Amino acid sequence: MCRLAPSLHFALFSLHRHVINSRVADNAISVESLKKSYPPVRTGWRAFLQPFAAPTSPALRGVSIQVKQGEAVALLGTNGAGKTTLLRILATLLLPTSGTATLAGHDVTRDPAAVRRQLGYHAGSDLGFYSRLTGCENLRFFGRLNHLSDSYLHTRIPELAKRFELQSALDRQVRALSSGTVQRLSLLRAIIHEPKVLLLDEPTRSLDALAAADFRNFIKSEVLKKQGTSLLFASHTLSEIEFLADRVAVLNDGQLLALDTPANLKSRTRVATLERAFYRITGHSADALDESRPS
Amino acid sequence: MISSLRDLLLFFWRDLRIASTYRSPFVLELIEALFGAAMFYYVARFVDSPQLRQTLPQGTTYFAYALVGFVYFDYLHAALDSFDRSLQEARDTGTLEPLLVTQVPLPVIVAGSALYPFLATTVRIAVYLGWGALLFGFPLGAANWLSVIAVLMATLLAFCGMGILSAAYLLLLKRGNPAKWFLLSVSSVAGGMLFPVSILPDWMQFVARFNPVTYALDAMRAALLDGAGLLHIARPLLVLLLFAAILLPFSIAAFSWALRRTKITGTLPHR
Repeated sequence: MCRLAPSLHFALFSLHRHVINSRVADNAISVESLKKSYPPVRTGWRAFLQPFAAPTSPALRGVSIQVKQGEAVALLGTNGAGKTTLLRILATLLLPTSGTATLAGHDVTRDPAAVRRQLGYHAGSDLGFYSRLTGCENLRFFGRLNHLSDSYLHTRIPELAKRFELQSALDRQVRALSSGTVQRLSLLRAIIHEPKVLLLDEPTRSLDALAAADFRNFIKSEVLKKQGTSLLFASHTLSEIEFLADRVAVLNDGQLLALDTPANLKSRTRVATLERAFYRITGHSADALDESRPS
Repeated sequence: MISSLRDLLLFFWRDLRIASTYRSPFVLELIEALFGAAMFYYVARFVDSPQLRQTLPQGTTYFAYALVGFVYFDYLHAALDSFDRSLQEARDTGTLEPLLVTQVPLPVIVAGSALYPFLATTVRIAVYLGWGALLFGFPLGAANWLSVIAVLMATLLAFCGMGILSAAYLLLLKRGNPAKWFLLSVSSVAGGMLFPVSILPDWMQFVARFNPVTYALDAMRAALLDGAGLLHIARPLLVLLLFAAILLPFSIAAFSWALRRTKITGTLPHR
């Protein structure tokens, strides 16, 4: 019995590892029971006397999501639902309070450097560039920080700029560009190194309708289909979610309420649109939706 | 190692390129250095006396003494200021987060961003000394350049630790640079910047004995004005290196802890 126990233990351990490894291999992103709480915001003398207050404001309450290779998952939720917090944890900019998150098989807490090698991240703002450098100089600088060679960047930057009609932005200082153009540059920066996993926070927020549609087409045809990149993105634009996402994760107050295809979400809630399905799932009344429709 | 070096140079290229988009500051700094050197020269002429010369090292004029003190403090200022200033700029312009999701670790980002300010300060010092030698008789020919470089390198190593501590403070508390304030305030009096420590009251001389800036300035003056060799300035160099050996690992650990803390609190981009 004593001799049998270690070998049985080893066999169970191997099986357990196999299950974990196969899950990691299948999933580009794996989030298990992820919790994140922030310390209360203090000002004045309280901030000085209690600089290390315990985290008590929950932003994520045990969220579990898996994103398969080549799959696009949308994060849908009201403001403060936890979408950005989740994306920032996966981008290694935040540490979770508990739970695990892996990206391309690497733990975001234990091996953030390996995570960043597989990652493209767009934070949703039009900040984040050196205003006195040109668009091209900025892209080249960030590309080199991702260890891309000069020769690769020499061909890749004009190629992507042409695709996004950003050629004129390449030779102009960023301070002279519109916020929409800077945001497109930022999106271009996120995909320039052909990452395995792409995290986008409200990717088309400042874009005009044409540029937004063009970007969505590019993501679907080039990034998702051709390159097989996995995409996790937060958006409030439901048409964008329906166009891009294979599945939708509905978050509310830090909790995952549903994770399914747009069609299944609609059929489960017995409504015709994703908008109404979102209202049903989050428990909000759709009256406001009806009232806001033009008569 | 090679990759980190390449990354450091990338940051230098970035800052050089940004600086080159501003045309006038180069010219203005040249003129400012000329007037600065002239100011020290005329103040020195005004206060120079046999009594004053007795308190200075043998054969040193007050102009040379004060100019070395001034340029050394400029360098000290750069070592203490560059790290947290680069971090603050990255945070305020919104480039910190895009930098943090690249494959370059934060210590390299901070060190790389401090590279250009250090070299710019070195050039500024050279311009000051150049004007001093060209127009006001600063004895540049007497310098032992190897010793000068050794003192500057040891200064960088010794005080970068303080600069990194300031950056850690900035990460946590968002504003202020107490290390710089404390060291520059104490050293401007009890460090021998513009007057010898020997004229201070006994208790301040005691404080000066524990201030590495005092040793560094003595070594710098000996190397620049007396042409002292490495052996001659070995003691102050060792004091600076000892200071670096204690402070650098501590400051790097403090910085890592502060970074982890801001990732827990979510305050990394906060101002």
